[in-house]
Amino acid sequence: MSTDTDADAREQLIDLAEEFYDQFAGGDVPKMQIPTRTKSNIEYDEEEDVWVYGDRESTRSAKTISGAEKLLKATYTIDFLARQLDEDRSSTLRELYYLSESWDVDEAQFNSQDESNNLIEDLEIVSEVKREDFHMRPEESGAKVMGPLLLREQTNRGDREIHCQDDVGQGGYQIPNNPDTIEFLDNDAEFVLCVETGGMRDRLVENGFDDEYDALVVHLGGQPARATRRLIKRLHDELDLPVTVFTDGDPWSYRIFGSVSYGSIKSAHLSEYLATPEAQFIGIRPEDIVEYELPTDPLSDSDINALESELEDPRFQTDYWEEQIELQLDIGKKSEQQSLASYGLDFVTDTYLPERLSEMGVL
Amino acid sequence: MTSHQSQLGEGGGGIAEELAESQQSISIAEFFEKNKHMLGFDSGARGLVTAVKEAVDNSLDACEEAGILPDIYVEIQEAGDYYRLIVEDNGPGITREQIPKVFGKLLYGSRFHKREQNRGQQGIGISAAVLYSQLTSGKPAKITSRTKDGVDAEYFELIIDTDTNEPEIDVEDTTTWDRPHGTRIEIEMEANMRARNQLHDYIKDTAVVNPHARIELREPERHMKYERVTDQLPDETEEIRPHPHGVELGTLIKMLEATDSYSLSGFLQGEFTRVGGKTSDSVTDNFRDRHFGREMVWRPPQSHEDADVEAAVEDAVANKGAEATAEFADRVADGLEGYERVAHSELVALIDDVADDIEGKYDTVFGSTVRENAVEAAWAAVTAELTSDAYALVDEATTTRKDDAAVEGLADRLADKFDEEGRHRLTREELEEYVRRAADSTEEYDDATFGDTARENVADAFWDAAERVPDDPPKVRTIASERDTASDLLEAMRETDIIAPPTDCLAPISADLIEEGLRKEYDADFYAASTRDASVHGGDPFIVEAGIAHGGDIESEGKAEVMRFANRVPLVYQRGACATTDVVKSINWRNYNVDQPGGSGIPNGPTVIMVHVASTNVPFTSESKDAVANVPELEHEIELAIREAARDLKSFLKKRRSMQQRREKQDKLATILPEMAEKLTEVTDNEQLNIDDSLARIMNNVLIDRERDGDTVRLVVENNSDRAADVDLTDIVSADPGDPATENGHVAPSVVEMDGEWFVKWSPSVASGETATLEYSVGDEAEFDVSVEGIEDERVTINA
Repeated sequence: MSTDTDADAREQLIDLAEEFYDQFAGGDVPKMQIPTRTKSNIEYDEEEDVWVYGDRESTRSAKTISGAEKLLKATYTIDFLARQLDEDRSSTLRELYYLSESWDVDEAQFNSQDESNNLIEDLEIVSEVKREDFHMRPEESGAKVMGPLLLREQTNRGDREIHCQDDVGQGGYQIPNNPDTIEFLDNDAEFVLCVETGGMRDRLVENGFDDEYDALVVHLGGQPARATRRLIKRLHDELDLPVTVFTDGDPWSYRIFGSVSYGSIKSAHLSEYLATPEAQFIGIRPEDIVEYELPTDPLSDSDINALESELEDPRFQTDYWEEQIELQLDIGKKSEQQSLASYGLDFVTDTYLPERLSEMGVL
Repeated sequence: MTSHQSQLGEGGGGIAEELAESQQSISIAEFFEKNKHMLGFDSGARGLVTAVKEAVDNSLDACEEAGILPDIYVEIQEAGDYYRLIVEDNGPGITREQIPKVFGKLLYGSRFHKREQNRGQQGIGISAAVLYSQLTSGKPAKITSRTKDGVDAEYFELIIDTDTNEPEIDVEDTTTWDRPHGTRIEIEMEANMRARNQLHDYIKDTAVVNPHARIELREPERHMKYERVTDQLPDETEEIRPHPHGVELGTLIKMLEATDSYSLSGFLQGEFTRVGGKTSDSVTDNFRDRHFGREMVWRPPQSHEDADVEAAVEDAVANKGAEATAEFADRVADGLEGYERVAHSELVALIDDVADDIEGKYDTVFGSTVRENAVEAAWAAVTAELTSDAYALVDEATTTRKDDAAVEGLADRLADKFDEEGRHRLTREELEEYVRRAADSTEEYDDATFGDTARENVADAFWDAAERVPDDPPKVRTIASERDTASDLLEAMRETDIIAPPTDCLAPISADLIEEGLRKEYDADFYAASTRDASVHGGDPFIVEAGIAHGGDIESEGKAEVMRFANRVPLVYQRGACATTDVVKSINWRNYNVDQPGGSGIPNGPTVIMVHVASTNVPFTSESKDAVANVPELEHEIELAIREAARDLKSFLKKRRSMQQRREKQDKLATILPEMAEKLTEVTDNEQLNIDDSLARIMNNVLIDRERDGDTVRLVVENNSDRAADVDLTDIVSADPGDPATENGHVAPSVVEMDGEWFVKWSPSVASGETATLEYSVGDEAEFDVSVEGIEDERVTINA
C-alpha cells in the first residue's frame, strides 16, 4: 500500500542518485554537501522560532577513500530505501546496519551502528525527506501518554480509537514511531506536562494528577525520541495546549528541555517539525533548590563542564537560562525530581506543581 | 731456598746483576712474534684474511703510485696441512736490492715518515705476513718481481731472522714470468677458512671502493671476479710536511734532532707545512713569551721628581772624566724621558747606545762594568716608585665599582712583588702567581673581593703592558736537548693561528664513484653518496665520504650493513669498536624514514651504509687497523657525511611512500567507484557510466583522452595535478594522420611512417589545470595505440 508520501520520498532519493550519476557522467568528482552538524553551526530561525543549521557545510567527496566509501554506502542505502518504499515495508535503523552485511561489496557495508544512523540523517537532510517517510524507525519506540485525550491511530491492523485514560492501563498510551498516523478526536486537556523520569510519571499518575488538573502527562524517558517530540509539537500546534517540561535539576535535564523546546543539534534539520519553542520549563530550577531547600548532591566536574558548555550553547543564551545556570554554578549543587519527596509523597502534586504552574500562568 | 740464598751471597753484586744477565734487547721481529694479535694474526682464520689484506693493500698502493690501473689476483690453495696464499699484481715491481728488505724486514717502508694518504703506513703489514707464515709452516716466502725494464723477473725465497730483524735469503735467482711487470708473493701458513665470509667481504668491499681496480679471488670453494668500472685512477696525492698543530712532543723532538736547520725560524719554515716567515715569527714570539717571559715596563721618573736619574747615573760612573760622565748621564736621562714606560732590556739598549756614542766622542772606554753600574743605577731610579704605575694598570683592568682603597691595596702589593727580581722579567705563570698572592692578601687585609675574572683581567693588563724580550730564541740544538724548552715550543706552535693543512694530499673516491661502486655490488632501488670537504684533526687533513644503497635485492631481514673503509681499505674486524659504527648507531634513522627499533642503534631493513675516511693519518684504535678511533672532529664529519646521503634517501623513501599511497588509493578507488557507478546506473535506470575522467580528476592525474568525431580524432591531455606535466606521447596510427594540428601554441608533433604505421610523437608541456589538444583527421577504420612517457605511471590515466 504505497502512499503519495512514499512516492515522493522515493522520488527524492532517486533524484539524489541521479545527481551522483550526472557528476560521474560529466567527468566530475561525485560529492554530497551537508550542513556541518555541530553546536557552532546552528542558528536561530526568527520566523519559525527554532534553532536550525547555519551555512557551514561539510563535503563528502569521492576524492578521498573515506569520502568515496561514504558515497558508495549512500548509493547502496538509497537503493535499499527505494526498494523498501516500493515494497511498502519498513525496517529499523539497527536492521539496516545488519542488512548491509549482505551487500556484495565489502566497502559498502557499515562498520558501526553510528555510521548507518548518521548516513540516514545525512540522507534526510540532503533529500529533505524525514526518515519516517523512508520507513525507517528507531529500535526503541516512543514514550507514553496519560490524560484526557481521545485519538485515532492507523495501525497495520486497522484504525483504532483510543482514549488515553479510559482505554489504557496504568502505563498509558504508547506513542507509535510515526505519530503522524495519529488523528486527535477529542480532549478535555488543559495543558501538556512532560516528565523526565519514569518514577515521577508514575507518582503523578498514582496521585491522579492528570485527572485532577486535566493534564496530558507525557513521559520523556531521558532524551525524548523523535516520535515523542513530534507528538508534543502536534499537541501544542493542533490542540493549542500549553506545553510544560518537568525534569531533574541538573545540566543534562536542561538539555532534555532544550531538545523539546529548541530542537536538538543532531536533528536541527527537523527542528520545524519536532521543536516546540513555546514549551515552558517547570523545574527543578536551581532557584527551586534554594527556595524549597531540597536535598542535593554536589556538582561533579562533568556537571560543571556541561553547565559551562551550555552557557556557550546558542540555544541557552537567554537571560532566564544564564541566570539559572550561573546560580547553579554558584551553589554547586543539583537535585532530582524525587527529592521533592523529602516533604512527603504528595508534596509534588499538592504543592510544588500547582505552585509552579500557577506562577507560570498555566493553571 | 737455601741454595738460592747462598748464590745471592756468592754473587756479591746482589740481585740486580743477577737479573741483568737475563735482560737483553729483543728484536722487533721477536716482539711481534709474541704479539701477533696486535697485527691481526691472532688466529689461523684471521691470519689468512690479514695476510690477503696486507698483500692486496700493498699491491693497490704500488700500482696507484706508479699510475697503473691495478689488476690483482688472489689465490688460496689447500696445501696439505697448510694453506698457500698467492697474490699477484701488475704493479711497477721491486728492484733486486729492495726485495729482501721489503719482505724480510719489519718496519721497512717508504711511507712511515710521509704525510700522504696511503693504505699501508707502518711497513709492518706484508713482512708480518711473511713472519707469520714462516712461524706456522716453517716455509720461506717466495717472491717474484719484475720491473718495467727488467729482462727477467727476480726470484727470492726468504725468511726473517727474528733476532736481528734482517732478511735471510734462501734462494736468489732470476726466472721468467708472463707478467711484463708486477710482483707476486707466495706464502704458506697454518690457517683455516672459517673466516671465509670476512675474506669475501674484504674482496667485495675492496672492489666497491676501488672501482678502478680489477680484482679476482680464487679459493677452494669460490671464484670471485670484479671488473673495473672506471679507467680513472685516484688523483695522485701530494706528500705534505707535518702541520704544526698535528705533532706531538716526541715527534717534535725527533724532528728537532733530525733537522739540518740551525735556527728556529729555519726549522719551522723548512719542516712544517703552512709555515712561512710571518707564521714563523708569530710562533717564535709566542715561544719567547713562554720561554723567557716578558719584561714589565715602568714609567721613568720625570725631571721634576725626586729620583734624579741624571744624578744617579753620574754617581754610578767613575773615572771617565767629568765631561764625558756628565754628557753620558744627561743623555741617558733625556733618552729615558722619551719613553712613556720602559723595560729593563730597553734601558740596557739605551745605555749601550749612549755609551757607544760617548766612547767615540771622548775616546774613552765604557766597559761592561761601567755600563752595568749605570744600568743598575738608572733602573733603581726608574723602579723607585712602582705603586702609581701599578695603580693605573689595576684601575684600568677592574670595574669602576671596585673600592679605591682595594685597588690601591692590590696595586701596592703587586708593585712590592716586583722588587724581588732585578730585571722584572717574568712568565705569564709567574705573573698570575703575583696577582694571586697580591689579591689574596688584599682580600684578607682590605676586606675587598677580587674574583677570578678580576684577577684574570689584572694579569691581562700587566701582561699586555709588558714588553716582549729582545733575546734571540734558543737554537734548534738547544731546544732539542731540553725537554721543557721543546714543550714551550710545542705550546707556542699550538697557540699560534695557522691555516689548515692543504688537502691535495688526499684522494677521496668521489661521490660519483662511490655510487658507481655500490651500483656494481648491490642491485638496489636507490643509491646516494656524499663527499665532505676536507677537515683537519690535529695536523692531519681528512675527508669523509658516505654512500647509501637501499631496497632492491639487498637483504631486507635484520640489520642494515655498515661498510667501513679507511684510505680505501675495507675494515673487516672490530666493527663494534669503530667510530663509524658508533656514529651510525647514534643517528636517529627514523627521521630519514628508515626503520630503527627503539630509535637508536643500527637501523633495520634493506640498507647498506658505507663510510670512507681518507686521511694522511687515519686514527686507528690499534696497529691492526681494524677500527677508527673515536676522535670528535672525525665523528662529526662522519655524521654529516652520512646525514647528507641519508637526506637523499629520505626524499626517495618519501616519494616512494607517497607513490605507494597514491597507488593504494587508486586501487581502492578503482574498486569503490565502479561499484558505485554500477549501483547508480541500476537505481537511476540509466546507461552504463564511464568514470575514467572522474578518476583522473580525483587522482589529480594527467588524463589522456581520445575523442572521435567522424574522421576527426582529438587527443586531449588534461593536467589535473598541481604542477606542470611534461608528457612524451606517442600515438601509433594505422592510417596516415596527415598533418596534426595543435592549439594554444603547444609544440607541434612529428609524424614518422614506419612499415605502414604512423608514429605521431608529441611532447606538450601542460600547466597545472590546463589542457592541450592534438587534432588530426584519419579514416574511421584507423586503429590507435597511444603510449606515454616522462611521467610516473601512477600519475597518468590513459583513456585513449
